[in-house]
Amino acid sequence: MLLHINPACLFKLLHGFPPWIMPTDGNLGGKNVQMGKPGHREGATMHVKKYLLKCLHRLQKGPGYTYKELLVWYCNNTNTHGPKRIICEGPKKKAMWFLLTLLFTALVCWQWGNFIRTYLSWEVSISLSVGFKTMDFPAVTICNASPFKYSKVKHLLKDLDELMEAVLERILAPELSHANATRTLNSSIWNHTPLVLIDERNPHHPVILDLFGDNHNGLTNSSASEKICNAHGCKMAMRLCSLNGTQCTFRNFTSATQAVTEWYSLQATNIFAQVPQQELVEMSYPGEQMILACLFGAEPCNYRNFTSIFYPHYGNCYIFNWGMTEKALPSANPGTEFGLKLILDIGQEDYVPFLTSTAGVRLMLHEQRSYPFIRDEGIYAMSGTETSIGVLVDKLQRMGEPYSPCTVNGSEVPVQNFYSDYNTTYSIQACLRSCFQDHMIHSCKCGHYLYPLPRGEKYCNNRDFPDWAHCYSDLQMSVAQRETCIGMCKESCNDTQYKMTISMADWPSEASEDWIFHVLSQERDQSTNITLSRKGIVKLNIYFQEFNYRTIEESAANNLVWLLSNLGGQFGFWMGGSVLCLIEFGEIIIDFVWITIINLVALAKSLRQRRAQASYSGPPPTVAELVEAHTNFGFQPDTAPRSPNTGPYPNEQALPIPGTPPPNYDSLRLQPLDVIESDSEGDAI
Amino acid sequence: MAPGEKIKAKIKKNLPVTGPQAPTIKELMRWYCLNTNTHGCRRIVVSRGRLRRLLWIGFTLTAVALILWQCALLVFSFYTVSVSIKVHFRKLDFPAVTICNINPYKYSAVRHLLADLEQETREALKSLYGFPESRKRRDAESWSSVLEGMQPRFSHRIPLLIFDQYEKGKARDFFTGRKRKVDGRIIHKASNVMHIESKQVVGFQLCSNDTSDCATYTFSSGINAIQEWYKLHYMNIMAQVPLEKKINMSYSAEELLVTCFFDGVSCDARNFTLFHHPMHGNCYTFNNRENETILSTSMGGSEYGLQVILYINEEEYNPFLVSSTGAKVIIHRQDEYPFVEDVGTEIETAMVTSIGMHLTESFKLSEPYSQCTEDGSDVPIRNIYNAAYSLQICLHSCFQTKMVEKCGCAQYGQPLPPEANYCNYQQHPNWMYCYYQLHRAFVQEELGCQSVCKEACSFKEWTLTTSLAQWPSVVSEKWLLPVLTWDQGRQINKKLNKTDLAKLLIFYKDLNQRSIMESPANSIEMLLSNFGGQLGLWMSCSVVCVIEIIEVFFIDFFSIIARRQWQKAKEWWARKQAPPCPEAPHSPQGQDNPALDIDNDLPTFNSALHLPPALGTQVPGTPPPKYNTLRLERAFSNQLTDTQMLDEL
Repeated sequence: MLLHINPACLFKLLHGFPPWIMPTDGNLGGKNVQMGKPGHREGATMHVKKYLLKCLHRLQKGPGYTYKELLVWYCNNTNTHGPKRIICEGPKKKAMWFLLTLLFTALVCWQWGNFIRTYLSWEVSISLSVGFKTMDFPAVTICNASPFKYSKVKHLLKDLDELMEAVLERILAPELSHANATRTLNSSIWNHTPLVLIDERNPHHPVILDLFGDNHNGLTNSSASEKICNAHGCKMAMRLCSLNGTQCTFRNFTSATQAVTEWYSLQATNIFAQVPQQELVEMSYPGEQMILACLFGAEPCNYRNFTSIFYPHYGNCYIFNWGMTEKALPSANPGTEFGLKLILDIGQEDYVPFLTSTAGVRLMLHEQRSYPFIRDEGIYAMSGTETSIGVLVDKLQRMGEPYSPCTVNGSEVPVQNFYSDYNTTYSIQACLRSCFQDHMIHSCKCGHYLYPLPRGEKYCNNRDFPDWAHCYSDLQMSVAQRETCIGMCKESCNDTQYKMTISMADWPSEASEDWIFHVLSQERDQSTNITLSRKGIVKLNIYFQEFNYRTIEESAANNLVWLLSNLGGQFGFWMGGSVLCLIEFGEIIIDFVWITIINLVALAKSLRQRRAQASYSGPPPTVAELVEAHTNFGFQPDTAPRSPNTGPYPNEQALPIPGTPPPNYDSLRLQPLDVIESDSEGDAI
Repeated sequence: MAPGEKIKAKIKKNLPVTGPQAPTIKELMRWYCLNTNTHGCRRIVVSRGRLRRLLWIGFTLTAVALILWQCALLVFSFYTVSVSIKVHFRKLDFPAVTICNINPYKYSAVRHLLADLEQETREALKSLYGFPESRKRRDAESWSSVLEGMQPRFSHRIPLLIFDQYEKGKARDFFTGRKRKVDGRIIHKASNVMHIESKQVVGFQLCSNDTSDCATYTFSSGINAIQEWYKLHYMNIMAQVPLEKKINMSYSAEELLVTCFFDGVSCDARNFTLFHHPMHGNCYTFNNRENETILSTSMGGSEYGLQVILYINEEEYNPFLVSSTGAKVIIHRQDEYPFVEDVGTEIETAMVTSIGMHLTESFKLSEPYSQCTEDGSDVPIRNIYNAAYSLQICLHSCFQTKMVEKCGCAQYGQPLPPEANYCNYQQHPNWMYCYYQLHRAFVQEELGCQSVCKEACSFKEWTLTTSLAQWPSVVSEKWLLPVLTWDQGRQINKKLNKTDLAKLLIFYKDLNQRSIMESPANSIEMLLSNFGGQLGLWMSCSVVCVIEIIEVFFIDFFSIIARRQWQKAKEWWARKQAPPCPEAPHSPQGQDNPALDIDNDLPTFNSALHLPPALGTQVPGTPPPKYNTLRLERAFSNQLTDTQMLDEL
């Protein structure tokens, strides 16, 4: 810290030090000065010499002052309030003040510990703001509940549908279907993952019955039991077998509806996975047919304002205002008039009958540039109604590490994001799905059709990966897999939710029905007849509410300023201290160390001297003798006869030369100090 | 003499008068001001000139006042809270889901109990509004013919009346058609909210036991009047039916639930526990911890939530009790009581209702930060529900307890307190009047329930986003309904219609859980360090200074006064002993030390202590200048060693 100090200044500084420090500090000062500027080299070397000399003197003569003197000096001169009292009061009060000072020091240390711990816990405080401002209108994703037009995919699903119908017939009327089961069915699909009935009437011996009764248990047995099976105790199950058919598991269902639905969607997944995506897009609903009318604020829009994205569950989805290529559209006013108004045609007649049983539009509001996970977070809008959605943007902005465990862009998450092809921002949903797909590829060697595919991998299908269904079913039910994924994925620091207030009304009204349908039919099909019906059209209004944002922002609850002011407050409160007091204390500690070093050197020297005296084997001189020897120069001990073989004391030569004043203990010690002090004073001037 | 002690002795010698030894209060004050660690006081003494001194007195006092004011503010704002919102993404416990049919009992099963009431209601409708008998569903029964020879049981007890606005105090009994005089208060149920413009209003009269005190309740619409009237009688009748019988009359779990699917796994009626609600019949709770495990979801989205298809048999609906069709869903905590009639989402038939949930947890700090209760143990209301405390439970319990106190019987819609019965005509003929009075008092907060009950400190809240879609779709209807019929075939023998079914999806939209937590904004450390900051800022003061102040102003101050008084008393006593005393009384300085000449100089250490001059100063008449400032400056270096040397030589 003293590195760049001018030597002259250094001396002035040193001059301010307590007197016993002067020579001992010389060593330290000397080193620094040696590293000083070259222009002062000569003077510096002189000073260094002087300091080293003083240092040597000090080391030879022992410390100028004792620990006690140091303490008293410190107590009297420190700026903290307690110590001063200790030395300037009477004995009783002294003890009291000593205890008080100790107590306060302990309190300060404890409180400091508390504050530092609080600071290191990285707490956050939040600020909440609610109001209306011009904001980017949320991205709106709309999908039809049915992924494909049935008329376009009929050729793909022909075998499966026939099989499904046969299954339904078997379930609903077993005797009848036996008679006319003459249709040629694609048995390869069936044999891969058949549906079975499990007869649990005898709980110890559940009987497994194939629905078509061909390969299991013989015909006679099954037909008899199936009849009774409808009534009670029969479960439907899906048999999932691994490659060679040795390892089979049954996925049980409590109702036939679920069993056939799950079975059908599994088979359909298998079929669609083999079709290239371009063809799938063409089989789904095109934008110009789905979006009949569009109005944003006062401006008209059409299907070209929507970005198309293929979502395996729902086919073609259309995203309004995604902000990928052009700037996001803002909305500056609350209310229906300034929001998005859509009229959509869902074409309910052309739904794939077994794949989806729900009719409507699936829609979702999300942030710009984020991938819509519409199956999880989407809502339905019903046909034949007008659905009004008031939006409140609920934003949570977090600080990130070390305050809250979240990630800004997902770069530190150890899961490869398969959704990065869409150029979307990180979200935990994307991470979880990527993680699942990763596991799927790892254990089943193929990717699931519903999630995006990493490069070089293939979607699962029965032909190439015969036991994928078994593998997938295991993985889907596995709790361990989900928990690893949850453990690995981190949430995003900026969490935006769109709080929706949904209300519905019948649309079109009976009075307006006629002309609205006429106009829409004319526009879509150029026909004068009504080609639309109430079951097929949906009206949507999406708009900002009167208060359109609620932002919760995190900020550090305890910053460095807070910590310092509290530390200062505590120290000041109990002891009236400041940072300078700490420096004072540190200074005293350094002095202590120096005194100790000097003492140790002196001790070592005296030890060496004593060793040199070890040759003297006579009895030690008595106190009286020693006193006499020091005060009376003519005195000679009369012990010579008792130790004839030894001469005079070896240190007799060290006795002071006669004529010098008698040594005075205190002044002896103090005098050289004064001499040195005056020396240094002279130098400094 | 050790050098340390010597220095100390020196310091001691050089120090001015110490506190308690100071002879006068002025001296003490002066000593305090010069030696205190606070900054203002010293300036007062050191400053020269009256104006400056006054200014410094003013500053010091202002600083003291500011400190006191700021510290008071700090103390008063000690019990404030800071709120933090945390978001966790993790596996979430699925809430308990209670599903009820809106209609409590199968009408075919309860009809024999309610036959008389139904007939009278129909008769009342006919005579009040005169509409012809055109019920399609139940017109096979010729109930009007039965009515001929029957005594009106219900109308006699609580007559339905038509009031004419122009004839105050007169009303027409619908059954007899006679006009009768109505006295007592007339309470318009709806009059607070809106004007009644029709000339005729319908209501009924309730009287207390001695029938002298009557109150008449009127409604703006006959629909409300008849429903209320019906409900009162209905509660009367059902209160007498034992619980097992009621459970049997209501829907079974197998009947209500056609299919059930949770987190990708099939479930069935065994996963639901029965919960009988007096007004809603059998309700079924999913995930009610019946086998000690709470189900949880580790994925968001509808396929990982609960999917049920409900069978709602509209034919079994009670026509007067309920006027809407569907089911009610309540999402609640496992240990919470589902208040079916108060909260809950209604779901429609032939629709899929998809309910997306967001979980928000709130934790509040209890006393002294806010008036909330952790577990309700400090609320003086006995919890009659078998569930964890909530504000609603407290209010209902409070009302029910008051009801048992005032009316002697318990209201049918809420659980029974111990040693109480539900109200019915046979035992408590006039309970209705009592109930209505009490209910009015409760609503107007006259019972004190609202002030006694506190809100719970921590609660979970599920924010729901509900959306509807058509289900089944036109094309899937053809195959779906037969399969569902096959599924349900065990319970019913009829082909299902799509208006008999409702599909319900309940799921977590995402697994983000928001926790809103209150934490104390101030801790005792913070308070102390704020005190320290204030004291330090204005006066550079610390606790040590406070102790000093106590020492000086409360101990030394009084000890000086006491010493003075004691001396005075002693002098007075001495004078009394020796009354003739020619000399003027000596000043204390002069008495003890005749060598000291009293001049106008400031008192020095020695003079103040009444000590003889120090031994070292042997030169008479040349006392060294002993100004404090002078002395303190050179306390250590040269002066010290000089005197030392002088002594030694």
